[in-house]
Amino acid sequence: EIPGAPGAPLDVQCLDANKDYVIVSWKQPAVDGGNPIIGYFIDRCEVGTTHWTQCNESPVKFARFPVTGLIEGRSYIFRVRAVNKAGVSLPSRVSEPVAALDPSDRARLRSHPSAPWTGQIIVTEEEPAEGVVPGPPTDLRVIEATKNYVVLSWKPPGQRGHEGIMYFVEKCVAGTEDWQRVNTEIPVKSPRFAVFDLAEGKSYCFRVRCCNSAGIGEPSEATEATVVDDKLDVPKAPGR
Amino acid sequence: GAKAFTVSAGKHAKFRCYVTGKPKPEIIWQKDGEPLTPGRRHLVYEDREGYFILKVLYCKPQDQGLYVCTASNTAGQTLSAVQLQVKEHRLRF
Repeated sequence: EIPGAPGAPLDVQCLDANKDYVIVSWKQPAVDGGNPIIGYFIDRCEVGTTHWTQCNESPVKFARFPVTGLIEGRSYIFRVRAVNKAGVSLPSRVSEPVAALDPSDRARLRSHPSAPWTGQIIVTEEEPAEGVVPGPPTDLRVIEATKNYVVLSWKPPGQRGHEGIMYFVEKCVAGTEDWQRVNTEIPVKSPRFAVFDLAEGKSYCFRVRCCNSAGIGEPSEATEATVVDDKLDVPKAPGR
Repeated sequence: GAKAFTVSAGKHAKFRCYVTGKPKPEIIWQKDGEPLTPGRRHLVYEDREGYFILKVLYCKPQDQGLYVCTASNTAGQTLSAVQLQVKEHRLRF
């Protein structure tokens, strides 16, 4: 323990578990060591291993953080460390384990197991020109916004192409038409995405396109402008 | 033997298999005993009705063979198989 460093954060919980991200929350430590807390580091560990990985490069200020980069179906535990100018605290007690699964899959897993059954495979011939570019997704909404990140959610398009759909998320500084693709490398398979690296004080619009092997579809309607600053419904540190 | 299907060279072959099981089974597609990895000519996905799909694009003669869909979960494993034949175009005079 470093003299002057904060106490360990308390009560680490997983608020919203999905296959793409888990939102981790905690309470600020009882003692700040005499120096104000600058922020927190969140660590994750896959259950069954002893390897802890730090999730955020620089300290986050708010007592809530979406952890991404999880492997679907694996279970994780989390811990949090507080930082002030004297140094980093001891880690908190670890959270309950949480599986990186969508709620519907989690419910299915809880019911009784049954051995797989596979039907007869049917083979059909298709014309190569048949690919259909998917239409735009609908109901795009900002479901969470802080000065560090924005979480988007949307619905798949009604008229789908034949193949499995993936999504491209685009952002644009409000008032311009300069749309930039956010996920240039990682394809998004589920209708949710957490956007990081937004400039504080700026106002952004977001939109989403579907794609499949036939091509990239038209964008959804853009969201209303979202201002990246403290005034938004920033989650308060619990217990404050 | 496994049921045989024939497609024309140059066309896409779509393999469609319905799978049940809890927890949701993991699916592996294989051709002649070798796992098929998704790539430029092989698409693997689950369609909206819950069928598992393998699509072989622009079929060539070497795509002929035995295709197997293996499903496994914590409760067990099972498979279905079909034989694919690729019919080449004949020149007409």
